[in-house]
Amino acid sequence: MKTDVVVIGSGISGLTAATLLALAGKDVVIVERRNLFGGSIRRFKRNGVGFDVGFHYTGCLGDGEILDLLWKRCGVRDRVEVDPVFPDGYDQYEFFGGNTVVRGYFSYARVGEELKSCFPGEKAGIDSYLREIRDVCSQVPFYNPDLPLAPFLRGYKSRPRPLASFLDSVTTDPELRSVLAAPAFLYGVPLNQCSLETHALVAHGYYSGAYTVKGGGQTVVDGFLAALEKAGAKLLSSSKAVSIRVDGDRVAGVEIEDGKCIACSDVIFSGHPSSVPGMVPDSVFRPAYRKRLLTLKNSLSMFAVFGTAEKDFRVQANGLNYYLLPEGGEMLSADDSTPPALRSMMIASTGGEWPEFKPSLRNGIIILRPGFWEDVKAFAVSRPGNRAAGYEKFKAEVGAEMVETAEKRWGHFTGRIEPFAVGTPLTFRDELAAPGGCVYGAMHCLDQFTPDVRTRLPGLYLAGQSTLMTGVVGASIGGMTAAGEIVGLEPFWESLRSWC
Amino acid sequence: MITDDELCRKVIEVLAQEFELDPEEMVPEATLYDDLGLDSLDAVDMVVVLEKTFGMKVTDEAALRSIRTVDDLMQFVIRLRAEQSRA
Repeated sequence: MKTDVVVIGSGISGLTAATLLALAGKDVVIVERRNLFGGSIRRFKRNGVGFDVGFHYTGCLGDGEILDLLWKRCGVRDRVEVDPVFPDGYDQYEFFGGNTVVRGYFSYARVGEELKSCFPGEKAGIDSYLREIRDVCSQVPFYNPDLPLAPFLRGYKSRPRPLASFLDSVTTDPELRSVLAAPAFLYGVPLNQCSLETHALVAHGYYSGAYTVKGGGQTVVDGFLAALEKAGAKLLSSSKAVSIRVDGDRVAGVEIEDGKCIACSDVIFSGHPSSVPGMVPDSVFRPAYRKRLLTLKNSLSMFAVFGTAEKDFRVQANGLNYYLLPEGGEMLSADDSTPPALRSMMIASTGGEWPEFKPSLRNGIIILRPGFWEDVKAFAVSRPGNRAAGYEKFKAEVGAEMVETAEKRWGHFTGRIEPFAVGTPLTFRDELAAPGGCVYGAMHCLDQFTPDVRTRLPGLYLAGQSTLMTGVVGASIGGMTAAGEIVGLEPFWESLRSWC
Repeated sequence: MITDDELCRKVIEVLAQEFELDPEEMVPEATLYDDLGLDSLDAVDMVVVLEKTFGMKVTDEAALRSIRTVDDLMQFVIRLRAEQSRA
């Protein structure tokens, strides 16, 4: 088989890159190791209920915002039904044992008002926090598409500033501090390692509006698959890429586990970058770069409970995500020394029923709690279906405790919770091919440079959450940038901006 | 603390190894980009290697950007060490 570009991985990053390239006239083949496409935004079904793992709501879908631009350009926007959550939508923050309840509205104005009414003595600090988040993002082309892209990607960036000391400069109130730092849950970095810049990129999207998609992440995946088919791209499932062929000094093809080889001149690898050194000849990368990819520090993992609630979450509660924060503590603990039961927790409706079931009968919910690789390290040498002794018991205990805590806290609107499945960092490792079970790729934090989209091997590009930014928006931007590098970055960016 | 000369020898040794360069070619006047074949993508790795190996923190971007030759780099590292050992 022969093509122009092989895209490895079919998460939102790979799907975005492949569609943009196919529409730019390239022959594209996507190879996906699993039997289904979509990576972590794909829905899975258990007991008739559809569960979204990686897609609950997203920012940047407002008219002309980056995800809106990308989905319009890709022909996906018309295939999905997007519901804006504002003006009254919010996430709710509560504290262990405390009475403070804060609503994190998806709007700068509303969240500012809410914070000031909850923390009346902290008005100046709240204003300077929100101003700083906006200022940082006004310089970022993904949030300000009038800016050129290449200078942002190629230019030297200042070293990131610690979020913790910035927060210290705006407030001494521990609860306000926790709420301001809360978007860290959406990029998986403990506060002592958070940078203000990464925080701003994620928080800005959050404070600028949230959007849900009817049918959840699966609808987005299906939209991309239809767009790809229309654009003539090929998709191969159950096709694990095992190596990247190099001829002379350029990419020449991708080898699949079954022995097939797809000849091509460009490859986008959208998985975790630590897999890349093992896929190319040693001589391709300098030892410094190889080592950097292999030793990337990763974002946090999660424990997840998937189940149903007795009452319809969406009728009983107006918020999207409900967070429980440790008293005076942080959204994400610094390390695994904080026992799971003392870590933060979040509950959300899975956002919709599987079509054949009536919504009132199946109120799918997901409960998440930060997890560390160290929590499950003892069971590391095992695969799905063949876990080490004691793992099932451990998993059941963690799940039962999460359900109990959730019922105690949110039982008034969930009723009894019936768990169907429990995921741990081990599950995320194996399901998502994510080292350490990291849910947001390599950690975007102080003291780590995440890899550039370009690599030193001509024709090889990286995408996915580990490159530029995390989440659905971040992964999409990574895919877009990789596609842009192949067809010419600035003209590509300009054509995207002028598309709508 | 090792002398500046020893520090420079160590920098050469580490960079030669990490970037697969020929130490013989790493003369003071050699330019990093044209003579040694490093490029902008290597710059980040260079910072990572210097920070990890020598425990220093590279924060002065303007100075980093002005580095052209091996000698510029040596002066940069010597200055950085002096500043950070005082701090």
